[in-house]
Amino acid sequence: MATSDVTVHRDGRLTRATLTPYTFIAPAYGLFFAFMLGPALFAIAISFFRWGGLRPPEFIGIANYQRIIADDVFWISVRNTITYSASSLFVVMPLALLLAIALNSPTLRMKTFWRAVYFAPIVTSTVAISQTFLMLFSREFGLINITLMRMGVEPLDWLGSRALARIPVIIVIIWRWTGLTSIYFLAGLQGIPADLYDAAQVDGANRLLQFWHITLPQLRPMTLFVSVIVLIGSLQVFDEPQILTGGGPANATRSVVQYLYLRGIEQFRFGYAATIGFILFVSIFLLSMVQMGVFQKKTS
Amino acid sequence: MATPRPSTVVSPGRHRFLSGLADLGMNFAVAIGGIFMILPFVWMVSASFKTTTEIFRPATLLPSSFNLNNYLDLFTRWPFAQWFTNSLIVAGATTMAVLFFCSLAGFAFSKYRFRGRKQLFFGLLGSAMIPFPILVIPLFVIVSNLGWTNSMVALIVPFMAPAIGIFLMKQYMEYVPQEMLDSSRMDGASEFRIYAQIVLPIVGPGLATLAIITFLNSWNSFLWPLVVVRREVSMTLPVGMANMLTAVSAGSARPYGPAMAAATLVCIPTVAVFLLVQRYYIAGIASGAVK
Repeated sequence: MATSDVTVHRDGRLTRATLTPYTFIAPAYGLFFAFMLGPALFAIAISFFRWGGLRPPEFIGIANYQRIIADDVFWISVRNTITYSASSLFVVMPLALLLAIALNSPTLRMKTFWRAVYFAPIVTSTVAISQTFLMLFSREFGLINITLMRMGVEPLDWLGSRALARIPVIIVIIWRWTGLTSIYFLAGLQGIPADLYDAAQVDGANRLLQFWHITLPQLRPMTLFVSVIVLIGSLQVFDEPQILTGGGPANATRSVVQYLYLRGIEQFRFGYAATIGFILFVSIFLLSMVQMGVFQKKTS
Repeated sequence: MATPRPSTVVSPGRHRFLSGLADLGMNFAVAIGGIFMILPFVWMVSASFKTTTEIFRPATLLPSSFNLNNYLDLFTRWPFAQWFTNSLIVAGATTMAVLFFCSLAGFAFSKYRFRGRKQLFFGLLGSAMIPFPILVIPLFVIVSNLGWTNSMVALIVPFMAPAIGIFLMKQYMEYVPQEMLDSSRMDGASEFRIYAQIVLPIVGPGLATLAIITFLNSWNSFLWPLVVVRREVSMTLPVGMANMLTAVSAGSARPYGPAMAAATLVCIPTVAVFLLVQRYYIAGIASGAVK
């Protein structure tokens, strides 16, 4: 209630004092309406129109949605994005957890150094680092193929083959996101009360048992949080495949956001692209809800 | 609990041997993974000093000599200095605006009790659920109609008050004691002065955290600048760098050397600064996770 301010400003400044918090949040709220909530609603509206940029928009009902369901490239991009998300959930997350445990362990040597090494990728430009990996995976002069050749293995066309091209994208995702994800787990680990381990030690539980019966259950809320964040982030992958392959060969690496960009910004099909955006939004929303539901059931 | 540190707990010899082995394995695994993390940096920096011949026929990981041609090329054949300036201005202005708007709103949410406070706050937090890609098309339409394409305004204004920032500032400001505010009010200080002169200095670490996160996000941002900026001189670093490798006329080789010089100049400063201030960054990330 606004009464707390009344005691301070007893002299007719009352109204101004009550208005103060509203004026303080007004700029943020203005920006929020103009550049988030407004555009989000606008996007939903656009998805019911055929809109090619120059020509006036034409209302076509749910035709965009019908066309997307029948659009093979859209489904390829969905499949690719699911591959990226699955790699993030089932490779990045476990690696990040192991890394956090190692970085938290009293027996790790050169801890400060390794922390720096693993955290540095967080702040690198995805474009710069994807271009570096573009060279590392180059068919003719990349470090990876050169190493393979020295071992007597045939060089592989990493970025030009439909079967392989997703691998470099996933490697960049692992390289860039593992350190960041481990920071969350580190915070979670440091929040586990030490006497739990002390008690287990007294009972003679070895470190594997302690990990299984103390660390993992204690980390469950953090794991839920991390998995939601990782899922939301990975469903929006754009930079890495855009730089490494441009979505090719033959859409083999194209993510949903890349497809949105292709349709909307390169081909000026605003209605169609807005529909892709809305479908992505709904999927992200539903998936995070499901994820939270599943975890909550397990916890209780 | 009188139990000393785990390592000093007396255990049978076999156990100690096994746990020693586990420690060795862990140190080894961390080192192997670490090499995988460092290798791209080594490649990036070393390729930036290689000649074109060396890049296309690499015999060694390190360059035979440190030639600076790639760096010279970068500044003469591309408007790299302009891109760098653009990125600095965009990231700097975004950061200043975010610090101001988020701390102001965070101050209101943490230190005032007003009608609708909870609803307004959770409404704002809910907006963090809106993924950016859904906004790309409508924002592009809006920005085009405002005539903001190719301008820095389009890269700054939509990102000036992120919900996460308001949340972070609110968390930090909860710890500012109410008595400090009350006593300044007794002295007749205006509410804005209380915010600017009493509260802001106290939440310095929070501001630092928010500044680092915002600056880096803006500095590395790619999708949105790619959408809005077409003119070469208006590009930010990521867009310009991407353009170096994609806008190559047919038949000519991609300029990998200069691209790696650019990558080095873009990554090394951020990594260096990050290593100096990483505790703020990590605190910020962790505080987002701890409710």
